[in-house]
Amino acid sequence: MSYDIKKSVSLYSYQEAYFTGKLDLEGCIREASKAGATGIELLAEQMVDEFPVITPEFKAKWFKWMEKYGTEPSCMDAFLENHIYDNRVCTLREQIENMRRDIEIAHTLGFKVLRTLVSTPMEVIEGSLPIAEAFDVKIGLEVHSPFSLNSGWSEGYMEMIRRTGTKYFGFIPDFGIFCNKIPTELTNQALKNGAHPECVELVQQAFKNRCEKGFVKIRYDKNLGAANMDYRMANGQGELMAAIKKAGGNDADFGYAGASFAYTWNDPQDIIDNIDYIFHTHAKCYHINEDYEETCIPMQQVVDAYKKAGYHGYLSTEWEGAEMVEDASESCIEQVHRHQECMRRCIEG
Amino acid sequence: MLETHMLNPDGYKNTDQGFAFQMRVPYYRGITLSIIRNIQVTVDGVEYPRETVTITVNGETFTLEEARTVISNRWLFGQFGEIGVKKEGGLAPGQHDLSVTITVAPSYMPMQLVKTGRAQFTI
Repeated sequence: MSYDIKKSVSLYSYQEAYFTGKLDLEGCIREASKAGATGIELLAEQMVDEFPVITPEFKAKWFKWMEKYGTEPSCMDAFLENHIYDNRVCTLREQIENMRRDIEIAHTLGFKVLRTLVSTPMEVIEGSLPIAEAFDVKIGLEVHSPFSLNSGWSEGYMEMIRRTGTKYFGFIPDFGIFCNKIPTELTNQALKNGAHPECVELVQQAFKNRCEKGFVKIRYDKNLGAANMDYRMANGQGELMAAIKKAGGNDADFGYAGASFAYTWNDPQDIIDNIDYIFHTHAKCYHINEDYEETCIPMQQVVDAYKKAGYHGYLSTEWEGAEMVEDASESCIEQVHRHQECMRRCIEG
Repeated sequence: MLETHMLNPDGYKNTDQGFAFQMRVPYYRGITLSIIRNIQVTVDGVEYPRETVTITVNGETFTLEEARTVISNRWLFGQFGEIGVKKEGGLAPGQHDLSVTITVAPSYMPMQLVKTGRAQFTI
């Protein structure tokens, strides 16, 4: 099947360089372009100072940068702040208005895809579909580990797609669902914080067993916390914690064990099965070595599934290693560069 | 880690009301002040009560209680805001240890985000 897989960078990847003032927004776009990306993914709430207002001056600058660096807008990441008031949750009307605001911003800045989070209620997505259609911006639900495709959870959304017949809603897989190892840097950080090597071994063995046996997938539940806890228990968190307790584990051991359940391995066949509903992708990454290999995600295998599926769209580098190292303000640039090269090889390979 | 770069080494001073320092929010996007649940300031082992702490961002100052309703002032990602603490006479000249813990409640997170920054500084 024909495919057209393009490379994008989510500027989220450069957050620590931006945070410390090493890169401004234009600098992030320039680095992404230098790394080989033609798509730019933006968290407007992160790097647009006037948000939620898009001034004519900002809009003009944005499109000038796109032209100057040979890039185009790929996806805008939205956050439905439906608990913006301390004492209540926003009403359905207020939440749909918030979606309207973000869809309009995406449209103004030339984005065809708006990323929304798993916490966005179904009725808010459904209520936003006419707005999405009017502005020709597709709403993509991030499939972020431990959520997964071909699961009870995703079936909840498939039912809505079938019922409404919408072409303006689909999934944005995040490569955190294709981890066949625990990220190396997370392990290094745990050891540095005093985790016992024998406990680390227990956690890694348990992760390996989950990969071999297959993860129990998460179910659809409006209560995400409950669904997540059930998912963890069904995948052996209770037994692992008991084993670590028996081995005399400390806070760093328990922290590492708990964190390990944030990563999952799913069969890349899930992409092929759901390709009709996938129009953008977060190529999440944690650590790319000097040989341009993501050390916990089998990139070639995953990209091959996208080829086989006939994907037309972006793979957007989303480097998330910053939380695992002391200072990422320099390394984030190199990590993105390596990941773009890794993807180029996988796409061309 | 964003916490590494949370505190401004040049931001410490005594004020008419007490003392002040500058910090960034170690969270990856700009936030309305309304989702800040607490800022706990400890200097030299002394915890300052919530009521004594103010936030100044974009030229506006709020107590932590007032901040709960502020949805039109965004603390930008990477921006230094000033934290004021009421203390008669301010801090004594010399070196001090600061620990500051900020609690933020992004709507999509099942748990609140709690981040701590630490620094030694001189008045």
